[in-house]
Amino acid sequence: MIHRRAGRFEVDRRAVLTGAVALGTAGWSGCAHAARQKFVTANNNPYDILDPHQVFDIGRIAIRLNMYDALMRWVDNPPKLEKWLVEKYEISPDGKSYTFTLKPNVKFHDGSALTSEDVVYSMERILALKLGAYGLFKDIVVPGSTKALDPQTVEFNLKTPFAVFLAVLSELWVVNSKLVKRNIKDNDWGAAWLSRNEAGSGGYALRRFDPAIGFQVQRFDGHFAPFGKNAIDDADFRVSMETATRVLGVLKGEFNTTDGYLPREQMARMKADPNIKTWEFESIRTFYFIINSWKAPLSDVNMRRALSYAFDYDGFNNDILGGTVVRNPGIIPNPMWGAPKDLKGYIYDLDKAKYHLGLVKEKVRPLQIGAMAGYPQSEQGGQMLQAGCAKIGLDVKVVTEPFTTIAAKFNDRERAHDLIPLWRSAYFADPHNWTGFIYNSGNFDAGNASYYKNARVDELCNKALEITDQEQRRVMYEEVSRILVDDAAGIFVNNTKYHGAFTKNVKSIRFCPIGDAQDLRWIEMEG
Amino acid sequence: MRILVLALRRVAWMPPTLLGLTLIVFTVSHVIPADPARAMAGENASTAQIEALRTKFGLDKPLPQQFVRYVTDVLSGEMGVSLYSQRPVASDLLSRLPATFELAIAAIIVAILIGLPLGVVSALYRNSPLDQAVRLVTIAGLAMAAFWLAILLQLLFSMKLAITPVQGRIDGWGPDPITGFYTVDALLRGDWEMFGTSLRYLALPTLTLALPAAATIVRFTRAGVLNVLSSNFVFYQGAMGIPRRIVVWKYILRSALIGTLTQIGLVFGNLLAGAVVVETVFSWPGLGQFAYNSILQSDYNAIMGFTLITGSAFIVVNLLVDIAQAVLDPRGR
Amino acid sequence: MSMWRRLLRDRALLVGTVIIALLVLVAVFATPLSTFPEHVTAFDPAQRLKPPGAIFWLGTDRMGADIYSRLLFGARLTILIAVVATTVAVLIGVPIGLVAGYYRNWFGEMLMRVSDVFLAVPQIVLAIAIAQTLGPAIHNVILALSATYWPFWARLVYAETRSQRNEIYVEAAIAMGASPLRVMVLHILPNIMSSIIVRTTIGMGGTILVAASLGFLGLGAPPPTPEWGRMIAESREFLPQAWWYATAPGIAILLVVMGFNLLGDGLRDVLDPRIRRSANRAP
Repeated sequence: MIHRRAGRFEVDRRAVLTGAVALGTAGWSGCAHAARQKFVTANNNPYDILDPHQVFDIGRIAIRLNMYDALMRWVDNPPKLEKWLVEKYEISPDGKSYTFTLKPNVKFHDGSALTSEDVVYSMERILALKLGAYGLFKDIVVPGSTKALDPQTVEFNLKTPFAVFLAVLSELWVVNSKLVKRNIKDNDWGAAWLSRNEAGSGGYALRRFDPAIGFQVQRFDGHFAPFGKNAIDDADFRVSMETATRVLGVLKGEFNTTDGYLPREQMARMKADPNIKTWEFESIRTFYFIINSWKAPLSDVNMRRALSYAFDYDGFNNDILGGTVVRNPGIIPNPMWGAPKDLKGYIYDLDKAKYHLGLVKEKVRPLQIGAMAGYPQSEQGGQMLQAGCAKIGLDVKVVTEPFTTIAAKFNDRERAHDLIPLWRSAYFADPHNWTGFIYNSGNFDAGNASYYKNARVDELCNKALEITDQEQRRVMYEEVSRILVDDAAGIFVNNTKYHGAFTKNVKSIRFCPIGDAQDLRWIEMEG
Repeated sequence: MRILVLALRRVAWMPPTLLGLTLIVFTVSHVIPADPARAMAGENASTAQIEALRTKFGLDKPLPQQFVRYVTDVLSGEMGVSLYSQRPVASDLLSRLPATFELAIAAIIVAILIGLPLGVVSALYRNSPLDQAVRLVTIAGLAMAAFWLAILLQLLFSMKLAITPVQGRIDGWGPDPITGFYTVDALLRGDWEMFGTSLRYLALPTLTLALPAAATIVRFTRAGVLNVLSSNFVFYQGAMGIPRRIVVWKYILRSALIGTLTQIGLVFGNLLAGAVVVETVFSWPGLGQFAYNSILQSDYNAIMGFTLITGSAFIVVNLLVDIAQAVLDPRGR
Repeated sequence: MSMWRRLLRDRALLVGTVIIALLVLVAVFATPLSTFPEHVTAFDPAQRLKPPGAIFWLGTDRMGADIYSRLLFGARLTILIAVVATTVAVLIGVPIGLVAGYYRNWFGEMLMRVSDVFLAVPQIVLAIAIAQTLGPAIHNVILALSATYWPFWARLVYAETRSQRNEIYVEAAIAMGASPLRVMVLHILPNIMSSIIVRTTIGMGGTILVAASLGFLGLGAPPPTPEWGRMIAESREFLPQAWWYATAPGIAILLVVMGFNLLGDGLRDVLDPRIRRSANRAP
């Protein structure tokens, strides 16, 4: 329908046409101009950098999942690792050499072919930029060690065997090396250009981007993986920082969905609305307190145990969070293998807390909780612990700071907060994500913000990365979980559930805890 | 001639003022303990990564050297690169400028349209019930926290009554930019629907900013008109037999207008300040929201760029207001 | 007409005085006046987000604490911030303005330029930066507010001093051999005192608003401090259902600031109705 922009007359014409459409919908849907399926998401994190190698967080994962492809991909719940760009692979007996055969006929959005050269370039780029998922690869892939054997075959030569290599390959997003190289400025590997453009092969291609608003994508029909017949044509990812406005937007149909971890009052509103469909899935994202085990008196296990008994788990999980979460006594989320099924964690017991407090040999001083500003659950969790501690005579202060300020102190064990309530999201579905990465003493400057050190935990975590047999690894991780609880390495509170609210015209989604249903290609909408 | 001298003097003071401004902001923002290199690198980063970033952006150089480097960059039109998004700060600011300016100008227009007549009428009918009511509402309006008013208006009009959108500047993407002002661009393209939509989205944020501004304008207009009314000049005119109506229209309104003009500078400053919280509540993608995000992310360059832009704008507006006032009111301040 | 009679006749002044008096009373007697005084730090998760009722007069917040009681204790905080921040700003700004206005030399000009630089930035922007630098705490909020407020006083007193400087009484005092300090403090200052008092009172209102904004943005006092701006920020997630959560603290702020404004206006009318409303900055 072509309109001549003729000033005010256009309004009247449109009104007439709309009326005609309303009357003759049945006939109209057969018209050549079938309506395109549009899907709008409101996100509570800003979409400001489009470069998949510069960021590594869940808040902006929609960018990577939809516009790029990686060698492997996580789908479903419990998460399964699927070969994505890879047709088949071989691992050498010593576990140090991985040879991947890429699927044929994979195209980038600009039409050029995706070859092993692009994979090698992407790996080198991550190692050179030292941003994003660099921490996952830095200890195992040496720059220059990745080889393109032929256009379809890539060979990775690892420094040491790494059991989770396949798992972390889901974060090796392949960029169009020729396109990126054309836009390099001052040796920056194209970082400036790629942060506001895209060079991917994913199911959806970038159409518009404005860091203040969000980004818009369009389906890439040349993608190697087929789409469902009711797949989304166009999608908008918009930034909207306020909870109430996101919720209202979904209720009014301005947005098709929003983030899946809303407060329970808002979820109740969504559930009650006849125009909204809600889905609930247990995710793998645990809420816990980082305890700075380096600083006295937290270096004393009894101090940490006292704190663990002083937190009102039921009050927090059931009253404040209204049962939208599940009690998770350990650090590994319950649905994940490696979490012992019979693990008994701590309960809210002020007598036991006082008892352990009495056993503390170090001098007890007032403690400080650093809660994350802008995350009410973190603040409320902090207040919960503060209240419990007050009851056992322990003076605890809650300080709210933006996460960037808190994170800035991670590297300084003297200045870091005593306790930090936050989530450990799933970046890859392997117990290493919740254990070795954050509790191995070898990771003091890279992920272990607790400065926790336990020889047996180190030993088990290191060993578990070397072998590949899942059953053996499971036993090790279960032992690690038990030690971490017994040693009160952290205060482990709950595992979150994903509560997705969608407008009624969304027929189905395919939820995976890594990606949180922001993976557009699996979403089917009503025609 | 006097005006020229005045203008030149004020213009001459601008660069040192701006330099002082930059210095203050640089000092404050540089003492912020949050480590921007850490922020860029993310929560899973290692020390090596962070240090590499620090060197790359010159964050390890001594402070005076960093400052000199910054000033020379600004003078050549380059405000550095956002430590967080790696995009030039200047381009980020420029892309957000129209949003805030559209809001500010709309708010000033609405404030004048409401405030000026109310102020005049209130003064003319001094101590009448209308005057009392206006004074009460004015005082309340100036006592309200901008973010609270924003939330209340949002609660009433967007959530309960559902006649305005809850947040944002437009549903999705705005018109292809000519000026960057959605309303103006829509008009220029003859797109009445988009014009109407952008007005709907503009409504609540504008109202939130305009009400306190209108209150200020009412107060000053009222005071100014009262001043004129009781002046000898008006008395003399009345004694000469000139009809009161003409006196009112010719002299009082002129004085009111001049008075309001003086306040534009003040009002504009308050608007920019209010914009920070109002843009946050309404997710309005302007400078205020940018400022808040930048501070949260310890983005040095962005914070300094924002303050420079805001400060410069404020100084320029005040300069123009002073000149305009000198032109319109030769009797001097 | 005596001072008291004038006070009673000026309604604005009366209402303002009453409100501020109430505020002080509430702050002082918060404990006996509140229904759940322990809810300043304690809470009851099972009672969270209850609407206003017989037990919780203004409802409960997200942790289950009584909003009415927290409001009362928040009044203490409000007064503290307003009084201390404004006083510090005045104590810094007034002497600077006096000296600069009296001497009118390059040094004074320089000081005024420095003030101009501060005044070139909206107060809240600098206050945000400073508050975030120092960290979330009440004393840091006060510091941030004072540091960004003193230039206003310097400028104001500078202008007033300059105009007073040419008055006959000043020249007479100098001619009689009074030292500059004496002239400034004993002669000029009393004459501009009423202006300062009026502006101080109104300034308190403005200070409270900026402090509330800082609290709203999360840069003010940490939880569980019952700071009014922070309470409004916390409430946003639960709108529109928990409307009382946002309304109550907002009305409290409104009333208190209005009280200060009315008081200031009234004082202006009473102390010196001939005060010229300066065309420069805020009234």
